[in-house]
Amino acid sequence: MSERALLLTHDGLATLVEELAAAGTPAVAPAWAGDAGRAAGASAAARETEYRTVSGAAELAFGERLPRLSLKQFFLPPTEVLFSWRRVGGGVELIPPPTDFAAQVVLGARPCDAAALPIVDKVMNWDYADELWNARRAATTVFSLACGVEDDSCFCSAVFLEPAAARGSDGRLTPVDGGYLVETFSDKGEAFVAAHRESFTDLPAGAGGEVLAVQAESFRATARERVAGNLAVDHGRLRDWLDHHFDDPFWAGLGPRCNGCGVCASVCPTCHCFDIVDEPESVGRGVRRRNWDTCQTCVFTLHASGHNPRQDQNARFRQRVEHKFLVYPLKFGDVLCTGCGRCSRACPTGQDLAEILADIDARAAIDAGAGAVGDEGAADEAAS
Amino acid sequence: MSELQDTARRLLDEGLVQVVIGWEEGPRGARPVFVTSAADCERLIFDARCVHNLATFLNPRRSQITALGKAAVVVKGCDAKAVAGLLREAQLERAGIVLIGVRCGGVAGEPATLAPPALSAETVSARCWGCDVREPESVDMLVGEAQPEPPVTADLDERVAALDALSPAERFAFWTKELSRCTQCYACRQACPLCCCERCIVEKTEPQWIETSPHPRGNFAWHLTRAQHLAGRCVGCGECERACPVGIPLGLINRKLQQVVYELYGYTVSEDPAVPAPIGAYATDDTQDFIE
Repeated sequence: MSERALLLTHDGLATLVEELAAAGTPAVAPAWAGDAGRAAGASAAARETEYRTVSGAAELAFGERLPRLSLKQFFLPPTEVLFSWRRVGGGVELIPPPTDFAAQVVLGARPCDAAALPIVDKVMNWDYADELWNARRAATTVFSLACGVEDDSCFCSAVFLEPAAARGSDGRLTPVDGGYLVETFSDKGEAFVAAHRESFTDLPAGAGGEVLAVQAESFRATARERVAGNLAVDHGRLRDWLDHHFDDPFWAGLGPRCNGCGVCASVCPTCHCFDIVDEPESVGRGVRRRNWDTCQTCVFTLHASGHNPRQDQNARFRQRVEHKFLVYPLKFGDVLCTGCGRCSRACPTGQDLAEILADIDARAAIDAGAGAVGDEGAADEAAS
Repeated sequence: MSELQDTARRLLDEGLVQVVIGWEEGPRGARPVFVTSAADCERLIFDARCVHNLATFLNPRRSQITALGKAAVVVKGCDAKAVAGLLREAQLERAGIVLIGVRCGGVAGEPATLAPPALSAETVSARCWGCDVREPESVDMLVGEAQPEPPVTADLDERVAALDALSPAERFAFWTKELSRCTQCYACRQACPLCCCERCIVEKTEPQWIETSPHPRGNFAWHLTRAQHLAGRCVGCGECERACPVGIPLGLINRKLQQVVYELYGYTVSEDPAVPAPIGAYATDDTQDFIE
């Protein structure tokens, strides 16, 4: 989009954050999570940063650990009101929630978090256009920060992305000497830069500018190479295998380790399921809310009759894998995973998605080689 | 290590159990493993990264595990205490499980390292301070070399004392801030070996006792209820805090509960299932006179 890249110096970034705070525009960015009350007891090293609204550059944790929760909380909050109700006379009045969200900007999103947004857009606009999701999306400008790759659990390059993927971003920052090279990919991104032009500087003319451009490309290339070794799968044969192995003993090897806690879904940028609850607020009035939910809990599919179609954790864990790598791709043409690796890092019992995908891909390769066809009819069941 | 593997192999070979629940080397460090064949026993390990409380996998409601058959489970002291809790509450039959005890010199805070860390006051798990069951006695066999005392870290008690020193308003502000991050995912419950109810109270909807929405009212209701239900039962393994995806210091609540239960009833969680917990015992000299 941008014809000419700009530079955002460290000072420029600090000015920008302060300016946004002063103007009352929420700037969401990866920030240090720790404070004295918690630091001593926080056991997981991965708990060190979080996305939150920042007011000063000192809070920023750019290029540090992956924030413990993804960006999705700013588009699908852990709890939100769908409508309020109150008794009026003999009837009930429904009060819709406000959807005129104020503009906000995300600075330094992980590309794997930004890419999740257009993927989830699809389900949020499938049979029903979700006003709350769409309104927050429309109000938000996302600048990602080219990623240097977290660790061996990252596998964005195995799900059609890369550490500096532009998907879902209105603009991108790439670390270079003295600050960040800035590119824009959308009108929103352009407009944001134009509105805050004084915080950005022109790239030095001539050789100086070229050096920075080369640095940025080198940073991205190094990250691409680093992540490529973590995982590579053939999604076509992986889907085929999943489609034909609904009852494979493979799943019984994964369920026992799983606590059924759904931490994987909480930290996932693409998991979007929610529960709907009614809560009285007082006599004659109340609210309907939606809250994050996960297919990993035993009550997720529990019917009122007592029957549970996913009776054990083997079936529930299979659901997680099949929804992401079979059902969503077939329905929406996108894998429901951006390879951020949060599920593997956060799992209290060491379930590892990259390991599982590699395992399935290896089985799929053997099947493909043998020309084998598995149990017919599994696809219908898996898609239900 | 080989003693542990040999023991597991013998149990499987002789058909005494159909699955051995222990730890293995995973892609990100140690993790639980379910070994069903003697040939796979070489996967079993035990070192300072084996922090998971394996009693959690004995929850009789986990049908994907009970389907594997009779289980032997590798237990360090805190796991053995949790098994005793399940036995005490009639969730398990002692004859239905085999307990392979391991001598434990303390575990790390985190399992996700590629090699066992040297234990120090910084790396040792908060649970290990004052451990009275480093060589579990309630087991069917005990394996491994004698282990040194874990490094001393009274960190958890110091932090509880610091909270106790605050005014109620300050303490309320502390917990309001910490619990504001809770999304009510219940990972704390799922990781807890003693949270084994058929249906958790938070999942009851007729009536709805606890609001499941992660707003301050719902979060306080959930965490207060969780704490009440674990008083005198919590073994202090810290798995709830480790499982929490947003770093809520649940260990502070659990340790405070242990202190209160000790002050009121002189009870510390026992590895002996025959020792009744205060919640299931009646005493005429109870400090609270309403019971007389």
